[in-house]
Amino acid sequence: MNHLSEEELVDHYYGEDAVGSRAQTERHLGTCPQCARAWRDLESDLKEMKTGGDSQAFAFLESPAGGASYGRRVWASLASSLEPYPARKRVGLHLSLWQGMVYVATCAVLVTCAFYAGRQWEHRQPPVVAHVVPHPAAKQPVVIVVLGDHLDRSERLLVELKHTDADNEQMAVPLRDEARTLLAANRVCRQNAKQSDDPALTKALDRLDHLLAELASQQDSLDPATIERLQKEMNQGNLLFEVRVLRTRIPDRQASAGRSQGGTI
Amino acid sequence: MGENDHAAVRAILAGDTDAYAALVKRHSATLFRVAYRITGNQADADDVVQEAFLRGYRKLDGFESRSNFGTWIYRIAVRCALDRIDGRKADERSRVSEETDLEQQAVQVADQAAGPERLLLSAEIAAMQEMALRSLSPTERTAFVLRHLEDRSTEEIAAVLGIAPNAAKQAVFRAVQKLRLRLATLRVRT
Repeated sequence: MNHLSEEELVDHYYGEDAVGSRAQTERHLGTCPQCARAWRDLESDLKEMKTGGDSQAFAFLESPAGGASYGRRVWASLASSLEPYPARKRVGLHLSLWQGMVYVATCAVLVTCAFYAGRQWEHRQPPVVAHVVPHPAAKQPVVIVVLGDHLDRSERLLVELKHTDADNEQMAVPLRDEARTLLAANRVCRQNAKQSDDPALTKALDRLDHLLAELASQQDSLDPATIERLQKEMNQGNLLFEVRVLRTRIPDRQASAGRSQGGTI
Repeated sequence: MGENDHAAVRAILAGDTDAYAALVKRHSATLFRVAYRITGNQADADDVVQEAFLRGYRKLDGFESRSNFGTWIYRIAVRCALDRIDGRKADERSRVSEETDLEQQAVQVADQAAGPERLLLSAEIAAMQEMALRSLSPTERTAFVLRHLEDRSTEEIAAVLGIAPNAAKQAVFRAVQKLRLRLATLRVRT
């Protein structure tokens, strides 16, 4: 091991040797007379620099302060220049246990009362009924749409009726059921057509109504004679053609209704 | 004592200024001792103690309850003392360099040692030691006082001085080195 530097000796004196080297330094001081002499000199010098004890060195650093009276003197000189801190209001921290419980209970009661008051108020309010007055122009498009759908379905029914085999009674049963469904819608459409002063549509729906009523009034099965009669009635008045024509007019009616409502349909 | 200090701090922050009296009375002596050792004279030490307590009071709302009030106010006092000798250092530098000439010291001490007045000799020795201490930089002196006379750890010194622990250790070493050099003549001749 090399000789110890003065800095290493100072560190050793203050117990701040490098990690793990204290024992090594001790061993070296025990074996190296030169370092041991340097250590003794340093130790002696540093002990001389301590105040108190037998040494007169650094005696001037002995504090001349006079115990408790000194603290009182310092306070006397300070007291007048200290401004009090504004009191902190830490309500939550200074509440005692029972005060805290009262506080929590009060909050709970208030919340419960508010809840029930809200419920009662809600029940006592009259139900709000929305009075929606439809725009007069808005009715027509709806009927037209329904009319278009009604005419579609009616056209299909008439086509099926036209091609129904009169000898096959069971084939006519679905036609009767469909006629019963269409009958109610046809009456609504007919009534609306009368109100809108559309004689062609009214007339066609009248005839369709008659046919549907005939068909709907049949019992479980349709006899071939009835089917033939209905087919003849339909063909004589050319009802199918008339329904198709009306069906083709629907887009024109929708367009004109759309223009009248600013294109909202 | 620590709990009493915290209770006093809480009372002060709640508006009770008088609660500070207990803290002042409890820690004044410690602060004075370290202030005196750093500044080297009673008047400055008194001023440092008052200034430290005043600064401490004003910063009390930033004092963390986890800390020890004694350690906290001690550090403030050391900073105050350091500031004081730092400001004073420039004025004294020329005088110190003139008076601490080693050859002159040796002659003076040798002359006084030959005389019969031991008290006068002691006073001279103390003056030399004081001058040796004053020849140190404020940081070296403070680091030496805290390490050697106040038995504070290197980490604590570093925290007070606001420097790295290694720099604090170096400051202590430089101080020891300078003091030994300056007082070597005194030791040999006496």
